[in-house]
Amino acid sequence: MGMMALGSVLDSCNLFSGNNADGSLVSNPLSPRSPHFQGKAKSVIFLHMAGAPSQLEMFDYKPELQKMDGMDCPDSFIQGKKFAFIRGVPKLLGPQANFKQYGQSGLWLSDNLPHFQQVIDDVSILKAVNTDQFNHAPAQLLMHCGTPRLGRPSMGSWVTYGLGSENSNLPGFVVLTSGGRNPDAGKSIWGSGFLPSVYQGVQCRSEGDPVLFLEDPNGFDRDMRKASIEAINNVNELSYAEYKDPEILARISQYEMAFKMQIAVPDVMSIADEPAYIHEMYGTKPGEESFANNALLARKLVEKGVRFVQLFDWGWDSHGTGEDTALDKGFIGKCLQTDKAVSALLLDLKQRGLLEETLVVWGGEFGRTPMQENRDGKQNSFKGRDHHADAFSMWMAGGGIKGGFSYGETDPIGYNAIDGKVSVYDVQATILKQLGFDHEQLTYQFQGRPFRLTDVFGKPIDPIIA
Amino acid sequence: MPSILKSPLFLTVLGLTLGLTGYYIFLTDDPVDYNAEIKPIINQKCISCHGGVKKKGGFSLLFREEALAPTASGKPAIIPGDAKNSDMIMRLHHKDLEERMPYKEEPLSNEEIELLTRWIDEGAKFETHWAYKPVQPQKVPSGGLFSFFDQDDKNDIDYFIDEKLDDHGLSRSDVADKQSLLRRTSLDIIGIPAPDSIAQKYLSDPSDKAYEHLVDDLLASKFYGERWTSLWMDLARYADTKGYERDYIRSIWRYRDWLIKSFNEDKPYDQFLTEQLAGDLLPNATDEQFIATAFHRNTMTNDEGGTDNEEFRTAAIIDRVNTTWETLMGTSFACVQCHSHPYDPFKHEEYYTFMAYFNNSRDEDTYDDYPLLREFRNKSIGQYDSVMTWINLYGNNDLKTYYSRLLKTGQQCINSLVADSMVNAALADTKFLMLRKSSWARMKSINLTNKSTLLIRYGSGNDNGQLTIRLDSTNAQPYLKIKIDKSKGGWTLLEVDLPPGSSGVHDLYLNYENSKLKSKDDNGMRFDWFAFTPAFPGKDQKDYSTYHGLFIETLNRPDAEFTPIMLDNPEDMKRKTHVFERGNWLLKTKQVEAGLPELFVNDKDIKLRNRLGLAQWMTDKTNPLTARTMVNRLWEQLFGQGLVETLEDLGSQGANPTHPELLDYMAYQFMHEDNWSIKKSLKRMVMSATYRQSSKTTEKAKEKDPLNKYYSHAPRVRLSAEQVRDQALAICGTLSDKMYGPSVMPYQPEGIWRSPYDGRKWKQSDGEDQYRRAIYTYWKRTSPYPSMISFDGSAREVCATRRIRTNTPLQALTLLNDSTYWDLSVKLAQNLLKDKTLSLEQRIGKGYALATGQPISEQKTKALQQLYTSSFIKLEKDKEKILGMLSDSVYRKQGKELAAFAVVTNAILNLDEVITKN
Repeated sequence: MGMMALGSVLDSCNLFSGNNADGSLVSNPLSPRSPHFQGKAKSVIFLHMAGAPSQLEMFDYKPELQKMDGMDCPDSFIQGKKFAFIRGVPKLLGPQANFKQYGQSGLWLSDNLPHFQQVIDDVSILKAVNTDQFNHAPAQLLMHCGTPRLGRPSMGSWVTYGLGSENSNLPGFVVLTSGGRNPDAGKSIWGSGFLPSVYQGVQCRSEGDPVLFLEDPNGFDRDMRKASIEAINNVNELSYAEYKDPEILARISQYEMAFKMQIAVPDVMSIADEPAYIHEMYGTKPGEESFANNALLARKLVEKGVRFVQLFDWGWDSHGTGEDTALDKGFIGKCLQTDKAVSALLLDLKQRGLLEETLVVWGGEFGRTPMQENRDGKQNSFKGRDHHADAFSMWMAGGGIKGGFSYGETDPIGYNAIDGKVSVYDVQATILKQLGFDHEQLTYQFQGRPFRLTDVFGKPIDPIIA
Repeated sequence: MPSILKSPLFLTVLGLTLGLTGYYIFLTDDPVDYNAEIKPIINQKCISCHGGVKKKGGFSLLFREEALAPTASGKPAIIPGDAKNSDMIMRLHHKDLEERMPYKEEPLSNEEIELLTRWIDEGAKFETHWAYKPVQPQKVPSGGLFSFFDQDDKNDIDYFIDEKLDDHGLSRSDVADKQSLLRRTSLDIIGIPAPDSIAQKYLSDPSDKAYEHLVDDLLASKFYGERWTSLWMDLARYADTKGYERDYIRSIWRYRDWLIKSFNEDKPYDQFLTEQLAGDLLPNATDEQFIATAFHRNTMTNDEGGTDNEEFRTAAIIDRVNTTWETLMGTSFACVQCHSHPYDPFKHEEYYTFMAYFNNSRDEDTYDDYPLLREFRNKSIGQYDSVMTWINLYGNNDLKTYYSRLLKTGQQCINSLVADSMVNAALADTKFLMLRKSSWARMKSINLTNKSTLLIRYGSGNDNGQLTIRLDSTNAQPYLKIKIDKSKGGWTLLEVDLPPGSSGVHDLYLNYENSKLKSKDDNGMRFDWFAFTPAFPGKDQKDYSTYHGLFIETLNRPDAEFTPIMLDNPEDMKRKTHVFERGNWLLKTKQVEAGLPELFVNDKDIKLRNRLGLAQWMTDKTNPLTARTMVNRLWEQLFGQGLVETLEDLGSQGANPTHPELLDYMAYQFMHEDNWSIKKSLKRMVMSATYRQSSKTTEKAKEKDPLNKYYSHAPRVRLSAEQVRDQALAICGTLSDKMYGPSVMPYQPEGIWRSPYDGRKWKQSDGEDQYRRAIYTYWKRTSPYPSMISFDGSAREVCATRRIRTNTPLQALTLLNDSTYWDLSVKLAQNLLKDKTLSLEQRIGKGYALATGQPISEQKTKALQQLYTSSFIKLEKDKEKILGMLSDSVYRKQGKELAAFAVVTNAILNLDEVITKN
C-alpha cells in the first residue's frame, strides 16, 4: 500500500513534465490521491497571526520574568545576538497579563484568552518552537514555504499536490485574510512556487467576488451562463473531433467545473444561513470582513472537503511603538477579537465530529522578546516586545493530536528553549505526518533534484501525537 | 548472435535502408558508454549516498579521482581493470543485506551489475556529460534512399526530425493550411495575430515564396521585440516593485524597453548577453549599455524594518549566480551553494569562486536601490552639459571621467547604512544612519588620498548642530567640524573642504552635538550618503560659484529617469568573497577569487577576472552551454517543449535530448553561421517542414508518441498569459500599438493590492493605456496581475526558466467573467454588428474567423446560433438585464441585439481553438 501510494504521488509530478505515456495529461491534477500512509487528518486549518503574537502574554507563563521586570537584560542573552529593533542593553519586561491554570490538564493560560479555557483540554501547546528568521516576511515564508526566500511552494500547495481535492466544485486550498491587509510576505506564502499553478491557494474574499471572476457579468442569469458554457463545450467537442487533442477534453471538463464552482463557492462562502447560536458562538456578523467570519468559513470549507484552509489575521506586531501595538492595550484587543472565534471553531468542529479529522494549527511567524523593545536604542513609548526567533509558542488541535498537553519548556525568562525544542520544519513535518505523508518523501523534481517542503530538515513531533 | 547479423553485407544493407544509428549497440563489442549506460545507474541508484552531498563510507562517485581514492576502509572501492577485486562490485553481489548495496534498497539488476563490472574492467573511465562538451558541427542526415521522392521542401532540421520519425515508424503530417500557418506563425513570432497588411499580402500571394515573405515580414515587425521581451522578462525576473514585505515601487522599465529594442534590432545574442552581464565594464559604456545591466538589478531589495542589509545583499548576489546559470547556461547551480553538486561535476567551493564575479557590485540593499543611472531630462540635460563643459575647460581627463560618473550614477559614494560602532546613533528603520543628541558612529576604511572635498547628503530638522569628524580614534583631534542646519526639502547636499594634505585610509568617527536638543533620544540628523571627491575644478575662475552651484543641484536633485544598474566597487572598496559553510552566509570560511568551475577552466584562458571576463567566456564559441540553452529555449517557444525538456537543466539529471544531433546542429549554426542572430535561428525553425505541419493528429501517432516528442504533427499549445490577453485585444480591435514607457494599470478588480505598508493603490490607466500589450502591465511582486497568474504567468520573484502550462476552472472563470474580457466581448459584438448587410450566420462566421483565422463549420455555427437565440429570447423582455450588460449609451444605440450577440462573442473568446495555437 505504502509503495503504491507513493507511486501515485510521484506520478502526479510527471503529469506536468510530460513524461507520462498513458495520456494522463487529461486527468485532473486535483483528483483525490492517497498519501503515503493512512493519515489521521483529512484537512488542515492553519490560523496564522501575522506579526507574531507574544507568547509571554498568552501561553508561556513566566513568573520569574515578573520579578525581573525593569532590570537590565543580562549580557549573556544579548552578546552576539541580532535583533530587529533592539539596540544596546534593553530592560526585561514582566508578563503584561495574569495567568491561571485551566481544564483537567491544568495548563496555564493568560486572562487575555477567556474563551480558550473551554478548549484547553483539546490542544497541544508547543512552547519551545524555534525559527531562524527574525523579520516578518522571511519568517512567514519559512513557516509556510520551508525557506525564508521566495520561489518555493507553500504548505497548502504541497498538500493539495499530494492529496488532491475532495470536492471538485471547490478549490483544494483556500486562503482567507482579515485585517484589511495581506501578510508581510504577500501572496507568495500561498503561492505554488515551482509546482503547477493549479496548486496555489485561492484567496476567497468577503467583499466583491468571493473568488475573483466568479460572478457572471451583470445581466447574466444561470440559464444564460449554462447555455453559453454548453455552446462553448459543443464547439470544443467539434474541435476535438478535428484535432484529437486530449487537452480539449480537459478544457471541456474545466468549463463544467467552473460552472459548478459558481454555485458551490458563494454557497459555502455565505454565512447568512447559519443559525443564530452559531453566530453567537463565533461572534460573527454576516457581511463583515472579520477573523470571526473567516473562522466560521474555515469550518464550512473543511466540512465541504476543502483540504487546506489558511487564515491570516493582521495586527499582532506588538512593538509598543504606539497604542495599537502596546501589550497592555492594542494587543489585548487583538486577543479579544480572535479568542472567541478560535475557541468556537474548535468547539464547533468537535460538536460536528470534524475535529478528529481536522488538524487546527495556530501560531505566528516567530515570538517576542522577554525584553521591552528599545527601538534603535531608545525606550519605546508603550510596552512592547521585539521579534524573537529562539523560542515561541504555537498550538495544534484535532487531527490526531493529543489534547490538554504541553510540550517544550523555555528558561525562566522565556528566552531560550531548554527542553522539547522544535523547529518550524518539525511543525511542517508533523502537519504532513498527520495527513499521511512522510515529509521526506513528498517531493517534486525541479532543477535536477527532488525538492520538499522541509528542505533537508524536520522531524515529526511525535510526543504530541495521540 | 546469429552470424548473419555480423556480416558486413547485412550491415551495409541495414545501414542503407534504415540508417545506422541505434543499431550498433547490439551488434558490436564497443566499450561501455559511460554517459549512456553507467551515469544513469549511478545517478539513480548510488549517488544520493555516494556523491556531492553524502559520501557514505568515504566513497563518492561524482569525480573519478574521488571514486578511485581510498574509502573509509582504507582501500579504494574501484580498481580500474579489476572489477572482481573492486569492493564496489563485491558489495553489489553481497549476500549479507547489511553489506549489500544499494543499502536497504532493491538490489541492482543483473544487467546493471554486468554493465558496471564491464565498465570497471575496461578501466572505469569517466566521460564528460554531453552538455559540457563544446558544440561540434553536425552532419545533416542524408534522408535515406527514398528522400529523393520527398514532395515538400525540407530544410536541414527536417532531415534530423525525419530520421527519428522513421526510427519510430511515424511520419510527418501534411503542411497546414495557409490560414492556420498565418495564425501560428504570427502568434509565435510577434505574439499577436498579424496586422492586416501583413496578413493580406500573405493570403493573396500565390507564389512559393509567400510563406517565407510572411516570416520575413513578421520578423521585421516592431511587435516582434515585444513578444520576445515577454519571454525574457521571466528569465530576468522583471518586476515594477522591489519585492519582500514592503514591496515598494522600483523604476526599471527602461530595461524592459532596452529588451524590446534589442530584440527588434536583432542584437547578436553574444552582445545581448555581454551588455546585460557587464555593459558597465565595456569601454566608453553608453547609457543604453548601463541600462542593459539592470538585468541583474531585478533582484529583490528588502525594505522591511529590522532586516540586515548585508543578508539581503548576499541573497541578491546568490540570486544572480543562480539565475546566470539556470537561465543562460541551462545548469541547476543553486544546489552547489550548500554542497558539491549531487549529480554534476561542480564542487562546493566553485559556487563561491563564481559568486566572486558578482560579489563586488556596488549595490547593497539600500532603500533607493543605488547605484542608479540618471538619464537627465528637461533643464537637467542642459545643466549637466554646462557642468561638464566647465570641467572640460578647467579639469583634466581624470576629473572629467570622475565627475561625469558621479553625476550620471551618483558614484562613488559611501552609503550611510555601512556605519557601525554606534553610540546613541542607529540605522533608522535599518536604512539610514541617524545621529541623535551626543551620538557617535564610525565609517570604516575610507580612502582620503587625493581627495579634497567631502559631500554629505543629509536631512535634519534642527539648526545649529555640530558634526565633528575624527580620524581613527574618538580621542583624536577633530579632523573636520561642520555646522549642520535644518535641511531643505528632505535631503540637503552639503560640501565641505578637507584639510589640505589629506591622505591614507582611515576610520572616520562621527560625533553629533546639538545643545538645542532636549533629550538624548531626540533626532539630530540623518545621512543618505557621503562622498570624498577631488576638488571641483576652476576654483579661481570668475563663474566658479555659478557652475559649482549647478553641479551641486544636478547631483542632489536632478530631473532624471533613474534606473538601477550594475557598477563595481573601486579597487579600494573591493569586497572579499568567502566560501559559506553549508551555504550559510554567516559562516564564512576560505577566501576565494573569481574563477570558473574546474570543468571549464581549460576551455578558454580567461584574462579578465570580472563580469566582463565572465561574459566573454559565456559567449565564446567554445562555451558548451550558452548556445545550446538558447536554441533549446527558442525551440520550446515554437514547439511547446524543448529538445531537452528541462530547459533549466541540461545536466545529467535533466531530461535526455530527444534529438541530440539536431540540438547541436542548431547550436552550432546559431554561433557559426548566424553569428548569434536570434532572428536567423528562428527563421530556420519556422521555415522547416516540421514546423509547417498540420496540428491534426491520428490515432496511430497518439498511440505511438502520445506526447509528440518526435513531431509527427505540429503541437497544439495553449497561448501564454500575455498572448491570451494581447490576442483578445487584437481580435476586438482595441489593442494599442503604443510602445515603451512606464508600466500601465489596466482594469483590475478592487481590493487586490493590500500591501501591509505601501499605501499605493492600483490606479486604472486612462485611454489607450488600458489596452496596451501585457508586457506593459504594472507588475507588483507580492500581488501580481490576477489573470496573468491564472494563465501560468510567473510571479517574477526569482527567475522562471520554464512555465508549466495548466488547465484550470479559474482560467475559464477569468475569460468568462473578468470585466476586461466582458468589455472586449461587447466591443467585438459591436464591431460585428456594424455591417448591417450581414446575416447572423455571417456575423458568427466572421467573429470566429477573426478569432481563429479559420472558416467556421456548419455545426459550430449552429451551436453559436442557438446560443444567440436562447440569449435573445431571455433578454428581449428584460431591459434590466440588458442594462446590466451594456452601458446606458451603448444600450440606447444597439440594445438587445447587441447584448445577445455579446454573449456569443464572449463564448468565442473562450473557445479552445482561440486560446490555443493550432
